[in-house]
Amino acid sequence: MNLTAVVWATTGALFSLGLAIVIFRRQLLAMLLGLELMLAAVNVSLVHHAGLFDDAEALAVVALVIAVAAAEAVVGLSLILRMRRGGRGADAALLTELQG
Amino acid sequence: MVVWAALVAGIVAVFFAGVMLLHRSLYVSAVSLLVVLLQTAALFLLCGSPLLGLLQVMIYAGAVMVLVVVTVMAAGEEGERFADFSFPRPLAWAGVIAAVLEIALVLSHGTAPAAVPVDPGLQAKLGSVLFQPYALATEAVTLLMFLAALAIAPDREAA
Repeated sequence: MNLTAVVWATTGALFSLGLAIVIFRRQLLAMLLGLELMLAAVNVSLVHHAGLFDDAEALAVVALVIAVAAAEAVVGLSLILRMRRGGRGADAALLTELQG
Repeated sequence: MVVWAALVAGIVAVFFAGVMLLHRSLYVSAVSLLVVLLQTAALFLLCGSPLLGLLQVMIYAGAVMVLVVVTVMAAGEEGERFADFSFPRPLAWAGVIAAVLEIALVLSHGTAPAAVPVDPGLQAKLGSVLFQPYALATEAVTLLMFLAALAIAPDREAA
């Protein structure tokens, strides 16, 4: 059993499932969760290869990606709540026009 | 044994990601994502990066998931706001059994849980990389997080 194979299989499956969630689920919150899943999947392979090649820059990128994903989640969730309170629902199919 | 623990963590993560895709309830999806994030933190630890595993648990599985669950609660329909907040018991047991199995596999190894030989100085290099060549990116991300904190402050119009 090879750890690299395990990591690549996990990363590929998690990324594919995250992409499927973004494509097939219509609730905005579920789509945001799918995005978070894809980011977490990419981080797994980055961390593994940082350990393999003793690459501290890859670890730094993972730390930055975690911070950016947290900020993105906060902004996305506040937008979803604002749309919900504005009576526009939380379904992606209902958002057919922009409003300033 | 550590590789088997990584395999268990990967299988459990993929299983709960499948639950996220197939289950209708947003609450179940959010808790399933929490399990996935905890399993990826375990994978970070097994790949020899305990610091990032800790960050993953603190930021993702802690702060972000609390925000997600609160948003699910606040975005629910009036009257049925707390109606659909139950997690299927078989899924909960699957998560608990997987955690126990991973801990048993790692402890049976008897030493520090790293599946690959990692340079002990690698974690120390992370700090110097973040604050020397990546200092500008670190500052930019810090500013981004500050702006994100401002985004959730209620404005007067909404209040």
